[in-house]
Amino acid sequence: MANIISLLIPSLQETLYMVFISTLLTVLFGLPLGIILVTSDENHILPNKSLNTILSWIINVTRSLPFIILIIFILPFTRWVVGTTIGTTAAIVPLVIAATPFFARIVETSIREVDWGVVEASISMGATPAQIIVRVLIPEAMSSLVLGITITLINIIGYSAMAGTVGGGGLGDLAFRYGYQRFQNDVMFATIIVLIILVQTIQSFGNHLAQKINKN
Amino acid sequence: MIKINNLSKIYTKGKNEVAALKDINLQVAKGDIYGIIGLSGAGKSSLIRCINRLEEPTTGDIYVNGINIVTLKDKELRSARKKMSMIFQNFNLLNSKTVFENIAFPLRLIKIPEQKIQEKATELLKLVELNDKSNSYPSQLSGGQKQRVGIARALASEPDVLLCDEATSALDPKTTHQILSLLKNINKQLGLTIVIITHEMDVIKEICNRVAILGGGYVLEKGNTIDIFSKPGNKTTKHFIEDQQKIPEKMLSGNILNLSFTDGSANIPIISKITREFNVDVNIVSGKIEYIQEKQIGKLTIQIDTDRHKLLDIIDYLNKNHVKAEVINHG
Ligand SMILES: Nc1ncnc2c1ncn2[C@@H]1O[C@H](COP(=O)(O)OP(=O)(O)OP(=O)(O)O)[C@@H](O)[C@H]1O
Ligand SMILES: [Mg+2]
Repeated sequence: MANIISLLIPSLQETLYMVFISTLLTVLFGLPLGIILVTSDENHILPNKSLNTILSWIINVTRSLPFIILIIFILPFTRWVVGTTIGTTAAIVPLVIAATPFFARIVETSIREVDWGVVEASISMGATPAQIIVRVLIPEAMSSLVLGITITLINIIGYSAMAGTVGGGGLGDLAFRYGYQRFQNDVMFATIIVLIILVQTIQSFGNHLAQKINKN
Repeated sequence: MIKINNLSKIYTKGKNEVAALKDINLQVAKGDIYGIIGLSGAGKSSLIRCINRLEEPTTGDIYVNGINIVTLKDKELRSARKKMSMIFQNFNLLNSKTVFENIAFPLRLIKIPEQKIQEKATELLKLVELNDKSNSYPSQLSGGQKQRVGIARALASEPDVLLCDEATSALDPKTTHQILSLLKNINKQLGLTIVIITHEMDVIKEICNRVAILGGGYVLEKGNTIDIFSKPGNKTTKHFIEDQQKIPEKMLSGNILNLSFTDGSANIPIISKITREFNVDVNIVSGKIEYIQEKQIGKLTIQIDTDRHKLLDIIDYLNKNHVKAEVINHG
């Protein structure tokens, strides 16, 4: 038992590190992209047809690559960014690249849900596009964005297990090494239980927060 | 205050073109409460939304305070918009912000000191009688309260013009009345010019001193509310001007006249005078007195048994006594 725990703790730490840094960067890149997807629309506040088409195309292409292929495909890029292709930090690069377009689409949906009437009201008050984004679109979509971040976070946990098997470390790696390669089922079950608890906790926390923000 | 010259608006979607406004000419004077009424699809919303360029006019000019809105660039347009606020049928409040923050919203868009914002928003809360709702969220308010927030928010930037697009259409009659009184007070106290879009005649009667009737993208009729209402309507405007009361077909026999009395004629016992002077029998079919901004207009439908020649004399006599008469059926 103590043995299993001492195996789990460092792996859990690696997973948490990978997942939270990746989520942070994903939100950082995905949020503006999602907003641009909406606002560059023909009838929105910053119409730009070519930007919209190109961005949408890139997102679709990235999203159609299977994650495992993506990891290999971008190895040179990963090496260029972090100096290595192996280890937890190196795993963050493909994780962010895979999750950003996913999150951007989620942001797009959330922002589109904001009542157009409210946007018009702010236009009629002389708000600039930047003010509309920061003071209207984001706050009005906040509850839905929090749920989107929760979903993305959980998705990244799933992806991180895969990244683990190709040298990223973390719980996925642990389960794979002990459960699959050494037939130590107890380690694998323990890992699964930790993952279940992790996902459940994050989901409940996200739901709770979204509920609290929602004033509708 | 607002001068609209030869305004037209054509919506284009692919190959489809909808001409929503055709050659509109209107003038709204400072301090007016100007009503624009028309059936659904008449172009009312298009018209009011062209004034602050939520819709781009296709042709024509719109002067607000002497500035041609149509030719303004983005930045100038934004500052012009701060001087003409809009309130909406669906209120369009920010659900994520409190009543106070909704009212403060236009103030936060411009860089003014926090203390000024607090003062102004508090003052506006008082004006619309929502002091106790300061920290509530829009979802916790009734429709009437939401529209009060909408009005307070619209007033925050101290505009010269208030544009109201069906501002009371989502409200019940009593709340409508309260909101209209509030608008009227604001108009008096702050000297604010108000343009009101509506499809409800009662809204016009209650607060508008001037009115334009819109139909099929054209201005069919415009002028002082009292004048428009006291004269019989033509085919297209009748729907709005005449009272709702329908006279059954079988009653429409003989000579039927619609009369309307205004200030100058309401006190004359005109019916008994006609009976005496022309020696005819007058039968009253229907009648009512309406109030248009505290002025009364009497509407009476009568039946007279007489020949055509005498009828013309009677009409002449009525007109001399400032009673407008329209024959709706010849006997
Ligand atoms: N964005 C748009 N695109 C295409 N056609 C439009 C658009 N907005 C309005 N129209 C058309 O223009 C005409 C006038 O519409 P408008 O909304 O101005 O009428 P309205 O008098 O406000 O009607 P309602 O009382 O129903 O609000 C209608 O035929 C409508 O279908
Ligand atoms: Mg309309």
